[in-house]
Amino acid sequence: MAIAPRANAVREDLLRVEGVTKIFDGIVKAVDNVSLTVATGEIFALLGGSGCGKSTLLRMLAGFEAPTQGKIFLAGEDITNLPPYQRPINMMFQSYALFPHLTVWENIAFGLRRDHMPKAQLIERVESMLSLVQLTKYAKRKPHQLSGGQQQRVALARSLAKRPKLLLLDEPLGALDKKLRETTQLELVNIIEEVGVTCVLVTHDQEEAMTMASRIAVMSEGYFLQIGSPDEVYEMPNSRQVADFIGNVNIFDGVVEEDESDHVTIRSADCLHYVGHGISGNSGMVVGVALRPEKILLSKEKPAGTFNWCEGEVTEIAYFGAYTTYHLKLKSGKVIKAQELNNTRDLSCGLTWGDSAFAQWSDLAMVVLTQ
Amino acid sequence: MNNMTNYLRRFFNGRHLVIGIPYLWFLMLALVPLFIVLKISVSEMESTSVSNMVSWSQGWPSIKLNFASYVFIGSDELYVKAYLSSLNYALLTTVICLVIGYPFAYFMARSPKHLQPMLLMLIMLPFWTSFLLRIYAWKTLLVSNGVINNVLMSLGIIKLPLEMMNTPFSLMVGMVYSYLPFMILPLYANLSKLDMRYLEAAADLGTSPLKAFWLITVPLSKAGIIAGAMLVFIPAVGEYVIPELLGGPNTLMIGRVLWDEFFSNNDWPMASAVAVVMILLIMLPMAIYNKYQSEQLEPKP
Repeated sequence: MAIAPRANAVREDLLRVEGVTKIFDGIVKAVDNVSLTVATGEIFALLGGSGCGKSTLLRMLAGFEAPTQGKIFLAGEDITNLPPYQRPINMMFQSYALFPHLTVWENIAFGLRRDHMPKAQLIERVESMLSLVQLTKYAKRKPHQLSGGQQQRVALARSLAKRPKLLLLDEPLGALDKKLRETTQLELVNIIEEVGVTCVLVTHDQEEAMTMASRIAVMSEGYFLQIGSPDEVYEMPNSRQVADFIGNVNIFDGVVEEDESDHVTIRSADCLHYVGHGISGNSGMVVGVALRPEKILLSKEKPAGTFNWCEGEVTEIAYFGAYTTYHLKLKSGKVIKAQELNNTRDLSCGLTWGDSAFAQWSDLAMVVLTQ
Repeated sequence: MNNMTNYLRRFFNGRHLVIGIPYLWFLMLALVPLFIVLKISVSEMESTSVSNMVSWSQGWPSIKLNFASYVFIGSDELYVKAYLSSLNYALLTTVICLVIGYPFAYFMARSPKHLQPMLLMLIMLPFWTSFLLRIYAWKTLLVSNGVINNVLMSLGIIKLPLEMMNTPFSLMVGMVYSYLPFMILPLYANLSKLDMRYLEAAADLGTSPLKAFWLITVPLSKAGIIAGAMLVFIPAVGEYVIPELLGGPNTLMIGRVLWDEFFSNNDWPMASAVAVVMILLIMLPMAIYNKYQSEQLEPKP
């Protein structure tokens, strides 16, 4: 799903976070012993629900919070105790925090002036930033005279103007409406790629994380559940929480019946699963079988064979245009979701409310979750 | 007839009444008195009662204008001096109030949330006693055998009592003391709303905290500074009680002159003219500022 997965060339680590913990007021553990490395040129996303500690971690990278424990290194240098104004890191704030009393031009020049950049060079840098975000015409305006999308671009230009080693993005698209978000997402990634800056972004929106980032860390209650590329996190979640958080998923609770090196069979309340790869477990083990809705095929005819299908009644139909989501109530009372692509203009499987339908899937569609 | 009742009904609906009350208030208690003062200021000495403000000639009301008082204000050095010294003391009061009040309001706005109501209370506390009493209290503190001199002398810091009373110093003490809350309150209201993210953004872009204060906090609190300055400056220009009680022979202020014209000289046209000029002196800078402010707010094409 990533728009521009970056080349896997060996790069040196730019950012290294070692065992960082943040405890507020002596009791609230916002970030719990977290370690990570971000390579030069990477776009790294911290993904999680509200209160998972992602913003606190970002604020520690920016220098607004000091870690209770642990160390932060940037390009090999320990920056743990450096105040924000001495770090070669810039941040694009959630809802931007553009200075309301300054014009677009002055906002972008603000950081450069603090470095006492020579005037000619400063003018050139600001102009190039303005043209990068296509706001040259708006240089003289105040932030409140701009639209949300324009403000977002000013904020980006301001945070890029100093050519930071690391760019932090706090919910970069959170303040925009859905339609604008899609186009801005692409624009943002293109600009970041053009500048070639390393990025850490924080978001609660999994689509945003998956389209923009080359790697994602899924966070919950202050620690990382999983770190991986967007497709790894989506197709190979390592736990129920990750599977559940990223996209839609059906999870069947089952017991391992047969455990071979090249396959396993699992019995759940409604069906028998044949998984086409081995797992690190043993027979009799209680596991979850995760199955994404788009990997299920619905039909009215009973499938052949004994594995990887189940029968149910259609209880809900949600039409999204490009695809339709069906809710199927199984015999045990469990409801699963199945997504059918509308690849012809007549609704292909012709199912309606109350119909009895069969769901089937391939033996490579499932992920066995042991935790 | 029917038309008339309809018209009346439309006029006296709830919305008009609600908006009408403050307008009526403003009309009765501000515009009408102001008009009377204006009228008296351009009258002859003899015709200074409200009833014969308007004279009747051939069935039409006529108003005779007499600008002698205004001419006199311009020509007599006393008035010009009094105006200048009033503006001077009011400006000084405003500046001192700002210098003391800004840090005060700043730390109040930054203090823990649960302490703020108490701090606010401390600012308001003096209002519980009469203004006049508080000014008299300063008198007992500042006079030659007053509390301050006694303490300083008994500690051996000074040999002779300091002459503080009836000097510009005692006047400024009284003025700053009385008007300080009017500076602090609007500043506090403004500063407590300041979005901390602006300061974080400034720090992120390489600004030290002190620099960020001058580049971000102060410009963003401009509205509070102006509101506070207006609340202090305007009443301070016309202040009468404080210069009367704490001021001396060399602290001439226009409020004193006004009082003298009304009650010692009984020259109402002159007194009214002095008042009108004072109002104009205060209103002119305000009007200019308002115009500038509304131009700032208009979006540029």
